[in-house]
Amino acid sequence: MSVVHPELVTGRQDGFVNAPWTVKPGSTRRGEASCNLTERILEVPLGIDATSRVVRAHELMHARVSPHVIDHYGALDEMAHRALECAEELRINTLIARLDFDVSLLCDGSEKGGARRIAESDDWPEALCFLMAVLGTGGEKPFLAGIRQVDPSWMPGLRAVRKRALGLMDSLSSAALGATILNDEELPSGYANSTVVLARILTQSMAARPPTTPDELRSFRRSLEPGGRRPPTGRFARLVFDDTVPMSTRPRGAGLRRPRADSSGLTMRYPSRLLTDERKRAFARRSNLHGGIVIIDQSGSMDIDEASLSTLLRRAPDALVVGYSHRPGDHGSTPNAWILADRGSVVTRIPSGNIGNGVDGAVLEWALRHRKNSEPIVWITDGQVTDSHDHPDDRLTVHCAELVRRHRIRLVKELEGAGRSLTCGRTTSRSQLSQFGRLGRKLLEMKTF
Amino acid sequence: MVPSVEAFEEALSCWRDLADVLSAGLSRVLLYGPSGTGKTYAALHHGVGNNAAERLVCTEDLTSGEITGTWMPVGENRWEWREGPAIRAWRGLGGLGGRLVVDEVDRASGDALSTLLAMTDSPESARWRNPETSEWVRPGPQFSVVMTTNIDDLDDIPLSLRDRFPVSIRIDRPHVSALTSLSEDLRGPALAGSLGPAGRRVSLRSFYAFDELRRHLGSPRAAQLVFGEDGATGVLDALTIGSIT
Repeated sequence: MSVVHPELVTGRQDGFVNAPWTVKPGSTRRGEASCNLTERILEVPLGIDATSRVVRAHELMHARVSPHVIDHYGALDEMAHRALECAEELRINTLIARLDFDVSLLCDGSEKGGARRIAESDDWPEALCFLMAVLGTGGEKPFLAGIRQVDPSWMPGLRAVRKRALGLMDSLSSAALGATILNDEELPSGYANSTVVLARILTQSMAARPPTTPDELRSFRRSLEPGGRRPPTGRFARLVFDDTVPMSTRPRGAGLRRPRADSSGLTMRYPSRLLTDERKRAFARRSNLHGGIVIIDQSGSMDIDEASLSTLLRRAPDALVVGYSHRPGDHGSTPNAWILADRGSVVTRIPSGNIGNGVDGAVLEWALRHRKNSEPIVWITDGQVTDSHDHPDDRLTVHCAELVRRHRIRLVKELEGAGRSLTCGRTTSRSQLSQFGRLGRKLLEMKTF
Repeated sequence: MVPSVEAFEEALSCWRDLADVLSAGLSRVLLYGPSGTGKTYAALHHGVGNNAAERLVCTEDLTSGEITGTWMPVGENRWEWREGPAIRAWRGLGGLGGRLVVDEVDRASGDALSTLLAMTDSPESARWRNPETSEWVRPGPQFSVVMTTNIDDLDDIPLSLRDRFPVSIRIDRPHVSALTSLSEDLRGPALAGSLGPAGRRVSLRSFYAFDELRRHLGSPRAAQLVFGEDGATGVLDALTIGSIT
């Protein structure tokens, strides 16, 4: 049985206190060796064979260079935990390979089967992460072979990320890669300059659609480069409401009185309906209109002011008004929707948008769930529908167009027109649709609109 | 890799405790902890002034005579009383008292232990009569005792002995000054080598030997000779991984 000496692994410069470690016997199988820096527990295989030795070296390298503080003041909030975990695996494997440990032995035979399962379950994010964890090791080839067997269309995308990851590691010396001196964000600099950079790339690529066409691949490759635009994801982000927006009750007006056709009443206002309306609703009944739902796109191309909101609420004091705008690439840390007015109360300060749309469909569906009876829904939009990385997307545009058509959602360009649209009782006419960009064009293509 | 400031700070903390206790004039201190960290060295040299410290290494065979003194033949039919290290330390230079260092106190036998209890009693109670001169000897005013032991658990030391040593300091790593003659890359590991449990400890002496040998034989061979066939790979791998710069 071999002896492992975590206490002798010294040289950290990030305040990690040298103290005794607990060593537990692990194995060379994937997931059965670990390094817990917080509690100083090292679980490693203790065999005298070469594979056990490399696994021990891998875990000892974690003890040498991986961050030991969990709280990093939000610097890592935007990154997927799995992306960070697997990017760190690549850094560790790169470092031990440079010290001449034989990383080709890091392979337990489960890689090919695991890859097949990942591809069969269409888990592109996990395919990317797992590739990082096995990159450069003996597990890489069987893993890629497993993916290729099930979904070869993923290969170009995976190869692009592989190339970028290896390029990033190659660009840093071992000293830079393993540096533990803390940066301004209290992160070990080696971790910040390699693992975090790669995890950021991985996180955005995980959200992306696997590139299949040459154009998509080109755009995907560009997204991997520094400063590259995030690749298209083809889906909306999760709707995250901002619950901290302060609200106050608003002096309530009477709303707008408007006549409605009815089958009984005092004044016969629509005699023609005796002939045209099978329910013969020829009488007029005055009713107050108070509500409705107004959805406001507050992305970079749209803007609203308090005066317009007040005007709207004078006409529809009980309206539910919701604003939305998604920060491209955000994974839930930044709210992308907020209530601006809620059936009588109103925000004291209008939150600003986060540049992108990103949740158009999600917010429409939310509004439909909160619709009372058949109250009108008005959508203030420029007709642009984008995915969570703020790329216009045909499929998502069609989805929104279908919601608009099926639920008779009224489209308006500016907030000033929302009040009128709420009360006029008419949906957007075909002639107006051309003002609404891609969305308008899709609606025009739908013959039954 | 040169140990970081934090590592020095940590390493100094137990030694700072010892220095504080000795400089405050406390005359009974027990040092315990892993071997090879320099406890005995510190006991023999820190705070002894011009006196040479008297050292007593306890074993199961240690007798009372080796503590207080024994009759020695000095000629035909003549014997002379030779005072032992404890009495010599009581006296010190000019009767002022000196330092008695009792090493590996946990290994002392029952007979020797009772004599040690008498020798380390409070200055007011401690006294011993010279069998040759009948002189009553008492510890000098500057007499101090530092006991050392390699055990990790203080409970393994007899309660009566511990009672005489109200201050016990765990020395778990070498004094940084003891590292200066080591190569730079070994100082950090040497500072931390005594932290692990018994099976994983690497003493300062081992690092000195490894450092010396590797200059002539190279690291793999030196490690094999110092840490053994089984231990060499583990130590070398840890040193290699720690040395990323």
